[in-house]
Formats: sequence, C-alpha cells, structure tokens
Amino acid sequence: MDHRFQVSLRGVIDLLSHHLYSSPGVYIRELLQNATDAIRARQHLEPEHLGTVRLELVEKQDEGRATLVFSDDGVGLTEEEIHRFLATIGESSKREALEARRKDFIGQFGIGLLSCFMVCDELLLVTRSARGDGRTLEWRGRHDGTYAVRASEHPLPRPGTQVFLVARADMAEWFTPERVRQLARHYGGLLPFPIHLTVGGEQERLDSDGPPWRRQYGSATERRKAMLDYGREVFDTDFIDCIPLRSQAGDVDGVAFVLPASPHFNSKQKHRVYLKHMLLSESAENLLPEWAFFVKCVVNANALRPTASREAFYEDGALGQARDALGAGLRKYLMDLAHDDPRSLQRLIGLHGLSIKALALDDDDFYKLVIGWLPFETSLGVSTLADYRRAYPVVRYTATLEGFRQISRVAAAQGLCIINAAYTHDAALLEKLPHVFPEAQVEPFSAADLPQNFEELTMDERDAVFPLLRTAEQVLAPFHCGATVKKFFPAEVPTLYSSDEDGSFRRDAERARDESDDLYASVLENVMEAAGSDQAQLCFNLHNPVVRRLAAVSDRAMMKLSVEMLYVQALLLGHHPLNAQEMTLLNQGLLGLISAQLGAGGGGGPGGDGEDEGGPGSRGFH
Amino acid sequence: MAGDWREEAQALWDRATRQKSSESKVRLLEEAVRMADAHGDVDLGYQLRDDLIDAATFGGYPDKALVAFAWCRGQQKKDPERFDPEGLLWKQKWVVGRIKEFPHITRKQISDALDDIEQCFAKVDAGKRSVLKLRYQTLRDMGDDPAEVDRLWSAWLAAPRDHLTDCRACELDDELDHHIEKGEWEAALRKARPIVEGRVKCAEIPHLTLGTLLYPAFKLGDLERAAEFHRRGYGLVAKNRDFLATVGNHIEFLALTGNHARGLALMEKHLEWTLDHGSFNDRFLFLVAAAFLLERLMATAERDVVNLRLSKAFPEHRADGGYEVKALHAWMLQQARGIATKFDTRNGTSRYGRWIERNQRLAQEVVAFPLD
Repeated sequence: MDHRFQVSLRGVIDLLSHHLYSSPGVYIRELLQNATDAIRARQHLEPEHLGTVRLELVEKQDEGRATLVFSDDGVGLTEEEIHRFLATIGESSKREALEARRKDFIGQFGIGLLSCFMVCDELLLVTRSARGDGRTLEWRGRHDGTYAVRASEHPLPRPGTQVFLVARADMAEWFTPERVRQLARHYGGLLPFPIHLTVGGEQERLDSDGPPWRRQYGSATERRKAMLDYGREVFDTDFIDCIPLRSQAGDVDGVAFVLPASPHFNSKQKHRVYLKHMLLSESAENLLPEWAFFVKCVVNANALRPTASREAFYEDGALGQARDALGAGLRKYLMDLAHDDPRSLQRLIGLHGLSIKALALDDDDFYKLVIGWLPFETSLGVSTLADYRRAYPVVRYTATLEGFRQISRVAAAQGLCIINAAYTHDAALLEKLPHVFPEAQVEPFSAADLPQNFEELTMDERDAVFPLLRTAEQVLAPFHCGATVKKFFPAEVPTLYSSDEDGSFRRDAERARDESDDLYASVLENVMEAAGSDQAQLCFNLHNPVVRRLAAVSDRAMMKLSVEMLYVQALLLGHHPLNAQEMTLLNQGLLGLISAQLGAGGGGGPGGDGEDEGGPGSRGFH
Repeated sequence: MAGDWREEAQALWDRATRQKSSESKVRLLEEAVRMADAHGDVDLGYQLRDDLIDAATFGGYPDKALVAFAWCRGQQKKDPERFDPEGLLWKQKWVVGRIKEFPHITRKQISDALDDIEQCFAKVDAGKRSVLKLRYQTLRDMGDDPAEVDRLWSAWLAAPRDHLTDCRACELDDELDHHIEKGEWEAALRKARPIVEGRVKCAEIPHLTLGTLLYPAFKLGDLERAAEFHRRGYGLVAKNRDFLATVGNHIEFLALTGNHARGLALMEKHLEWTLDHGSFNDRFLFLVAAAFLLERLMATAERDVVNLRLSKAFPEHRADGGYEVKALHAWMLQQARGIATKFDTRNGTSRYGRWIERNQRLAQEVVAFPLD
C-alpha cells in the first residue's frame, strides 16, 4: 500500500538543507548517528553485542549513478516503529519541533533519515527488529512525499537495518569513495565499534578504536607523546603540553592542548567536540571559560544537549557546570605548576600571560598563588611583583602609557619605582591586591602625585620665586591650570605639567569644541561644565637654571611670555595636544621671543640662554 | 622622529582593534588620538576617532563618544569631500540617542540635535524610521506627554526600514521597553521570544534583553524563567560598563526574590562604575536598584553592617570594609535623588522622581525564590 506524508516533504527537506545543516555531507553523520543509536539500543537488550557498521559503495553500470548501502546490526525497527517515525517526519515542519523530536530514538531516526533526501531522490530502508516477530520489512520513500511499506522479499538473516541511497545526478560528488571515507572517518572516527567501508570488493576499517585519551599507555612520557601527536594530527599544530579534561556534569572527557604561541587577546579558540563519540563540531566555542584561550581541546560529551543543527552544544545549566568543571581542570594544571614547577609556570606566563592574568582576576586562590610571579614594567626596569613588594612597601602604578611617559623619567630620577600598568589586565590585577592581601598598599600614581616627592623651597627661595608664582598663576588661570615651584631632578626638566582624568577629558573636549559646529560646541560647553573641576598644575623646578634665572627677571612682560612658553613646552613634552587657545599662545609667544631677542640688539649671541651657562641672578633675557 | 610616533600610534591602534569594547580599548584609542592631534594629523585623528566612537559607545563611555563625534562632525562639515558624511550618520544615531542621558544638556540642545539629525538624514533621503525611534525614545525617557509619545511610537513602527535603520535585534529589544512601560508583561515576553531563543541577536542582544525581561517574568510569576534569564544574562553584562543599567535590573530581581547576598555581590562589584559613568541615566537606574536591595536588607533586619570590598574612589570608602546598611542606603538614595532632581528639572516632568518612589511598590511584590 502507498501512503503520503502528512506534510509537504519538500518543505521539510528545504528546511533541513537550507537552514539547519551546513553541508549535504551531514547525511553520513545522520546515518552514523542512527546506526549508533540502534546499536546502543541493541546493547541494552544484549549487553555482549559489539555492533558493527558497514558502508558499501556500488558503482552502477547503466546510468553510472553510485549507490551507497549503509548497514548496521543494531536493534532494527518494527512495523509500528516505522509508522511512528513517519509520523514524526510529518510533524517536523518547524525547527523547534525538530529539536524536540531529536530527543527520542525514533524521532532522531526519522529526522536523520530525512537528511538523506539532500543527496538522493529515493530511499530504500530494509530492517528487521530484534524485538519483533523476525519479519524483515522494507520502506521505500520518495522525495515527493510518497512511500510504501511492505514485507521484504529479501529477508535479513539477523536483526539490523540497511539503507540504500542512489545518488541524485547533481550530488554524485558526495558518493565518491574518497568523500565517503573522509566523511565517515571525520564524523565517526571515535565510535567504540568497528566501521567498515567496502569499495569494489576491497574492505577497510575506518574507526580508530575509541578516543586516544582513554587508551592505556606504558608510561606518562609515552602518553604525553601520543597525546601531542594526536593534537598535531587534529589541529596541525605542535602544542607544548597537554592537559586531561574531565567533567561529571555532561559526562565529558577529553584533552586540552597548550598553544605554542600567544593567541590574540580574547580570541575564542575553536574546539573539536564529540557527542556520544560522534563528531558534533570542529568549531565549538562555548565549551571552556572565557579566560582559557591558551588551549584548544578535543572532548567527548555523553550528556550535553546539542542544538537543533547538531553543530554546537546548547547553552544550558549542564553546559555551564561542565564548563566550570573543565575550567577547574585547567586551573588545577596551573596551580600544580605554580607549586611544583615554578620555572615552567614562568615560561607559560611569558607565553600565555593574558590567559593567566584573566584567570587570576576571576579567581582569588589562583591570584594568591600566581600574582608574585607576574612581571611588570616599572620606571626602574622590569620586576616581578614579589620582588617589587620586597623592595617597596607601597605598590604605585599608572594606568595609561601616556601617564607613565609623563612621569617615568622624573620618577626614576627621584628614585621612585612606578609600575606601568597600561598593559591588558595589569591595572585591575594591581587594584585587586589589597582585596586579596589586606596588608598590601596599592595606589594609582600620576604626574599630579610627583610634586609631593619633590623638595620644598627654603624661606629665602620662597621669597625669591614669589613674583614668578604670582605671574604664573595669573597667566595660567584661563587654562584651568595652577602653579607651584619646587626642587626636583633631573635638573634639565624646567617644569612638570600634571592633570587628572577629568583634566584630560576636559582637554579632549576643548579641542573637540574648537573644531565642532555651533550645536555640538554648545553641547560640549555644558558637558565640560558638569565635569570635575580640579585644576591642572604646572610645577616649576628651581633646580633648573632657566627657571632660576626667570625667577630673577624684573621685566613682567618678559616673565609672562616665558611662563606661557614654558607652559606650552610642558604640554608638548607631556604629549598633550594643544587646543586653539594654546596654539595661539605658542605662535604669538615664539614671535614675541624672537622680537625680544632682536630688540636686545642681538649682542648676546644667538640663543644666549643655554641651560649650562645660566645661574640664578645672572643675565636675564634683556 | 616622525616615523616613530606614527608607529607608536599604529601599535596602540592595533592593540585596540584586537580588543572588545572596554575601558582599556577606549584608553588605547584616546591615547592614539592625542598623539595624532599633537602632531596635527587630522586624517589619522579622524580615523581613530571613528573607532573611538564605537568603542566608547559600546564600552560604556557615552560622554567620550560624544566628544569624539563632535570633533569628527566639525571636520566633516569643514571638508565634506575629505570626510564622507555618510560614514558618520550611523554613529550620529548613537550619540543623539544618548544625549538625553546628560542632565546638563538642555532641552533646547536636545531638540536641536534631533532636528539636526533629521536634516542630516533627509539629505541622503533615508533614516526616517530611525529618527522617529529616536524622537519616541527621547520624549518617552524625558517623561513627556503620553499622547505624543504614543503617537511617535506608532509612527516609528509604521515607517519603512532602510539602510539607516537599526538591526532587527536592536529594534525588537527597543520595542519591548514600550510594553514594559505599559505593564504589558505578556506582550513583552511574547515579542522577545526570537531573542530569548537565540534566533535574533547582535552585539548587545540578548545581553540587554535578558535584563529587561526579568521584571516582566517576575510579574507573571514565572520565577523559573526569570531565574534563567538572570543566570544567562548576568554573565553577558558583567564585564562591560555599558551595561550598568542592566546590572541594575539584575540587582532589582535578586532583591525582589530575597537573594540578598547575591545582590550585594553584584552591587559591590559594579558600584565603581556608577561613580564616574558618563550616563547619568544609567548611574541613576543602578543607584535606585541598589537602594531597593539595601531597603530589603533593612526590612528583613538581616544585617546592620555588611562587609564589602568597595573601591577607594567611593566617597564613603572604609578601610575595614564594614559598611552600615542604613548609611549606605542613605548615600545611594541621596545620589539618586540628586540625579533625579537634575533630570526632572531639565525635562520639566517628574519621571525620575516617580521611579524612585516605585521602590515602595516593589517592596509589596517581594516573593522569596532562593537561587541555588
């Protein structure tokens, strides 16, 4: 008797091939999945049953259309089950429905079989159930939706299922021996039972006798070598180490390989994952915690849920728990290294510092163990944090490269050791220190903190610089900048400009205002008004010969001009871009200085104010 | 020398390019921008700011995005042949969309910025739908006349999509706010299904959505689902200060379900963001949620003092980490009220003040639902 599916089969096939599966090649995977399920079901009835899958390629003479016979000795189907899977297909017109149907044996069977219509127009299924009356049944289905079920004229000698697929003309490429061999190995290489391929009477075995990480090895060294070889075979990479993985949640096991070079920050590694020993995906990303981007792994999971397309794991609680457990395994590896082999850990830090830092940020215990080993760049050279803390009671750092540049030279000259924490995670790691070690003192440091470390002036010096200070305050007020005079090293540095975060934001906003149109300039005015109002500071260095001479100048106009130029110079030296007002200052100031020099008759020689010739009280600019 | 700074700026740019939007990405780009400016390289300054606007927008620095945009906008207007106006239009949406979140920007300026973007979009004969959405969201969030807000809502959805329209995921997420505003919890959850099921997504969706849906699911008594939204959603937003308001949603949910310890852990971790966040709106929403959590602690008399590791930048910072719940609550509320007053004064409405009062209603709705 002939029947019709309850829905348009075309629609379902279209859904599968265009929206669900990434390539027609998955038909082999789906057939392997069905065979695996059937063998497992039979093993449930007969625990001793081993199970075998056979693929046979038959080249047809007449039309030259290849036929694939795919057989298993699994549990087989009864007539009732055949009708049930057909019903399943009929209901599976939506992606969500398909996903739900996957959960039971029959549902998966139907959907899996359907995927074969991506590569052929007609299917013949011959099956004998281990649970039935011993009859062999056959089902012949066509892509147009018609099918027939009848008792087979060629009874099978033992329970099992055979599927006959005749390649559709445009799909012949999916039936070549090379392609079938490659696909079957690819998807089923880790299956725990034999898979045979027969082509032209020649038989070969395609499986690899289960996952290599579960095999027994003579020694730890042998195991390590075998694992690294396996890693090279899978990922074409020479890994530097391997780490066993295990999670009860999701029943996951496998192996992680440590990458031989630093991956890009936050780049997600693509892992190879198997579900019940069938390849699920070569690009699973959501398997490990975010910080663990220093490894690639191969795992098998027996109890995680695949997505509808069966190409990734579904993001649910079990996956979350498995991810935590796998992360814990990697963490243990690192913890053990820190305990037993600090030198290897240091090498790993050199290679995968970012991963290690990211984990340390999230994990207090790991942080405690590893933070001392991490190297930091300071104003006095590179130092591990442990060495730094032994030498200095307070950990001081700048969070930006810009900030570090502004202070490093002067700080070093005062003997201050300041960490450049502009590198990824460094600032956050240092800020975490007092949370983990309550006695630790950590302070952000900026150019604004430097003057506290400078030598104060004597009473006489204070009197001597008073006019300079007054003039500087007046000159700099329109620039939201105050003035101080102190003594610091190196003496060649005449001034130090410092501003805090709000100050930098204000300067950025000022430049944008200068460039923008009326609307946005007015908007920025309001934004700046609301921002913090802390002044920037220009600190004059009385150790500097020019500054000493400037303090003694009696010509107020010349003093004003000089302060303006020192201010602009300080900005430029600190890599602060100038706003329009400051640019005007620079241009007018240069002309003013030149004309002042020319006005002096040029008698003092060109320049005439070299740093090494001057001293306090010596010749001024006139 | 000239080669030197270019290489350095390029290196900073490369490092930034490899990162997701974050504080450090913004810092790197700002640094490179300053280098370009210091050397008067307008082209490089423009390209870097083009990236900076993205990083700042999606990394939680709307104020910095505004500054970078304003600069580019000025250059672009001065020399439209050198700097393509089309390229900036998409970003102008982000900037104008958040301009209402700075209380010191006046109503006049906001309305000028909206008119301005409308004109800019009209020049390329596109973007009507986007402008209508911006107008709708701006008026709604400023607490304007509900009839006008509803009119704009319908006009937005009726307008045709074009190349300046936000992606499907963002638009769908934005629609949810309307239903939640009206208390249409079921409609919100129904509409959100494609997002929740992962069929529609983008850089910020479902991150935002899972936080938005917590209260609707809670109101419908579907605590299991709300808990799932919390579990899935919080991890997505925990590391980016652009999601400060969404963290507020999670804190509110934890307080509503009596998960006080979890709520405190979130408050402890993210309070620092509120101290200098560019969006006063997001600061406000977080503060009100934190105030609600602390109110619950006081109401249940669980603890008088809580131990928290708060940043030194917190004005009430205590070295021993022991904070009196009452004092902490007073601080949150005082900050929230300060912001609410600024907004309500600027807007000439009472929306922000009323949002603080909402906490009293929430207190009546609490249902214990311990998360394991």
